[in-house]
Amino acid sequence: MTQGRELVVGSTIIVAILVIAVGTLWLQGTNWGRKATYVEVLVLDVGQLTTGNPVRLRGVSIGSVASITVDPGGDVVRLGLEVEGAFDLGDPVSAGVIIAPQSLFGDWQAEIVRRARFPQFDYFDVPAVDQNRDTLVIGGYAIPDISRLTAAADEISQNLSVLTDRFDRAFNEQTVDQLLTVIANLEVVSSEIRNLITQQASTFEDVSADVARAADEISQASAQANTTFREVDAMLDRGDVDSILVSVRSTAANIDRVTAQVNRSIGGLDQTVARADSAFGSVQRLTSRVESGQGALGRLLLDSTLAVRAENAMAQLDSLLTDIKANPRRYVRLSIF
Amino acid sequence: MSIEIKDIHKSFGEDHVLQGFSLYVREGETISIIGPSGAGKSVTLKTIIGLITPDSGEVWVDGKNVHTLLRPELYELRRQVGYVFQFAALFDSMSVGENVAMGLRRIKGMTEGDIQKRVSYCLHIVDLEGAEERRPAELSGGMRKRAGLARAIATQPKYLLYDEPTTGLDPVTTTTIDGLISRMSDELGVTGIVVTHDMVSAYEISDRIAMLHEGSIRFVGTPDDVRGTDDPVVRGFVEGRPELSRSVQV
Amino acid sequence: MAPIQHDVEDSELELRGFSAPVRSVGHWVIAGVGSVGKGGHLAARAVGTLRQVDIWGPRLVPLFVTIGVASIPIGLFILTFTGMVLAIQASYTLTGTVPNYFVGALVGKTVILELGPALTALALAGRVGASIASELGTMRVTEQIDALESLAYDPVAYLVVPRVLAGMFMFPVVTVFSVVVGIVAGWLTSLAMLDVTTPEFVKGIRFFFDTYDVQFALIKAWSFGLVVTGVGCFYGLQTSGGAEGVGHATTRAVVVGSMIILVLDAFWAAVLL
Repeated sequence: MTQGRELVVGSTIIVAILVIAVGTLWLQGTNWGRKATYVEVLVLDVGQLTTGNPVRLRGVSIGSVASITVDPGGDVVRLGLEVEGAFDLGDPVSAGVIIAPQSLFGDWQAEIVRRARFPQFDYFDVPAVDQNRDTLVIGGYAIPDISRLTAAADEISQNLSVLTDRFDRAFNEQTVDQLLTVIANLEVVSSEIRNLITQQASTFEDVSADVARAADEISQASAQANTTFREVDAMLDRGDVDSILVSVRSTAANIDRVTAQVNRSIGGLDQTVARADSAFGSVQRLTSRVESGQGALGRLLLDSTLAVRAENAMAQLDSLLTDIKANPRRYVRLSIF
Repeated sequence: MSIEIKDIHKSFGEDHVLQGFSLYVREGETISIIGPSGAGKSVTLKTIIGLITPDSGEVWVDGKNVHTLLRPELYELRRQVGYVFQFAALFDSMSVGENVAMGLRRIKGMTEGDIQKRVSYCLHIVDLEGAEERRPAELSGGMRKRAGLARAIATQPKYLLYDEPTTGLDPVTTTTIDGLISRMSDELGVTGIVVTHDMVSAYEISDRIAMLHEGSIRFVGTPDDVRGTDDPVVRGFVEGRPELSRSVQV
Repeated sequence: MAPIQHDVEDSELELRGFSAPVRSVGHWVIAGVGSVGKGGHLAARAVGTLRQVDIWGPRLVPLFVTIGVASIPIGLFILTFTGMVLAIQASYTLTGTVPNYFVGALVGKTVILELGPALTALALAGRVGASIASELGTMRVTEQIDALESLAYDPVAYLVVPRVLAGMFMFPVVTVFSVVVGIVAGWLTSLAMLDVTTPEFVKGIRFFFDTYDVQFALIKAWSFGLVVTGVGCFYGLQTSGGAEGVGHATTRAVVVGSMIILVLDAFWAAVLL
């Protein structure tokens, strides 16, 4: 009776202990004592890789991460990988280990690759000391995980906020007021310039109309003169002296008339030029006011590039004016003779 | 060595059961404590072996003050005391033989053979030969009481406390039990305290009889003293005439 | 005179009506503190009697059987259905968004960490705690415990220590079997009823498995064993008042035992995880 009970209790407990041991080992993913190769990986950072995570070669799970230790000095992490069976990697220098998330759910893996396949990664260079050991040592690279990307994004957003803050500080009410004033000033400038140009345009229109009229009169006068001269010529050819004398008188009268017409025309031209002159004078007044820094417009133009441009424009206008004055013919086509 | 109870008081809630109970039990005598049910007779017995701690007063057993003893000393003392419970209180998870052997297993140096021999002997004394393998549940009330007695005497105690050993038994069994109690005293020199309200048994087995009344001892004397007393309370109880004691109270 | 008397009675009644809830709070607090004190006393005595190996030692093996081995079937039964439900619920919850292998992860993790130890303990609070309380309670009201005392056995050493030790030792054992069966039930359910393959299920379990989980489960089961048996013994020994008292003690043992299990469960989760 007692022995039977002891047997039952003993076997129950032994089975339970076996279940714990075997179950734990199985859940940890043990290789049940099969031959395993130990590979070391040097890497700057392991991301979220933990012991027990799978080791893959071309996507096939061939082992697991057995240990993760930081080398003395703290500069590099040394991973111990347990790879099933014999494992020959060929040239260890050309091999690399990429540590990366397996899925979005936080499971990581270490994948053994040829560096040439993924050249974009910055694999750790295995120092000569480690290269010459019996254990295979591979350099690795950990792909930044979401958390680190988030950290980077965080940093960026922080910088942005600093920038925004500075903008905020720069654009206070005073700045806005100044800006509004500048815009208002610009409106004034543009309207003044518009007025000026309108004035200029009308002046030129008047001038050209006068000139055209004058030219018509001149051409009319010259046409009369031509006719007169031709008549004089014909009379001289025919030798008709009496009629020549009569014609000469009438011709002289015609010439007088033409001359008077031309004189009148010339006078109109003078008037035109004078009008143009006054227009240009107003431009010059504006320019000089601007140059002396009077008013908001002047201030605006003085302390900005616009002022320089406006100045250039004024200078060009000035030279244009001078040129028009000096060579009105270039702008007002006249053909008298 | 003897048992001496000095002025013990014990209350359960508002029920003041023992009110200055004192009793001296001489070595080797068998004394019966009589009194109506609920008078505190069982409480007295349990106080003697330290199962109940009195509110005040002292109990001296075998020269030791029971209620000042440390637990190991108390257990040491209890080995000297056998206790026969009112309803036997056999361990019903064990056979009768195991019940009787329980006390023996606490004695160092006894082999399993010695224990079995002693168990058989004790069961023989109480007329339960061969009942070792039987379960307490299979036994009648009288057999249980006898088995309880066998368990109490197994360790050869110097003192035996009987809590209503004959209550509810048929006359034949009562006589058997009374004979056993007398034998314990006469042949083994055991000091006995018997709590009972069975006057026939009390007269039969007692060297002295003490009457417990309202929490203290009303009367102590030999059976003949009891028979001849004028105390109305004692006579009222003994003769089954409660009106006698009631006339006293009024 | 009479009206005044009447008023006094009225105000007394009123006072009683108002004070009754307050007094009952006081009563429960005092009773609670008293229970804690008595429990502590019992625990201290149990520790003190640990060295009486000759008393409790021989009692261990039978109690290992009744408390431990005989409790395995109920543990297996409960965890079988729990494992099934977990697998189906996990698949129901995770459908479409999460890979299938999370069914295995959820079943494994939940069964090992929580449901295996806790449900087993709750079931055993009913089975073991109740049986201890009623057994010890019956022994108390039939004076068997006094009889033990009179035979120079310390009831704590003879009755409490071996039961608590058996509980502390065997609850983890029962839990181990329950956990294994729970996981197997979850796996079979996944295969039979869900679109989860064995490799997926296994991958899920292994993926989130940590050796610490096993230690955590065993520590929990160990403490639950201590609580269930200890509470059963406590209320058993406290019993008074015949058969009704035994029934009362049994109920208290199960209720208080279950409550302490749940509190302790949260406590371990907070402390150890």
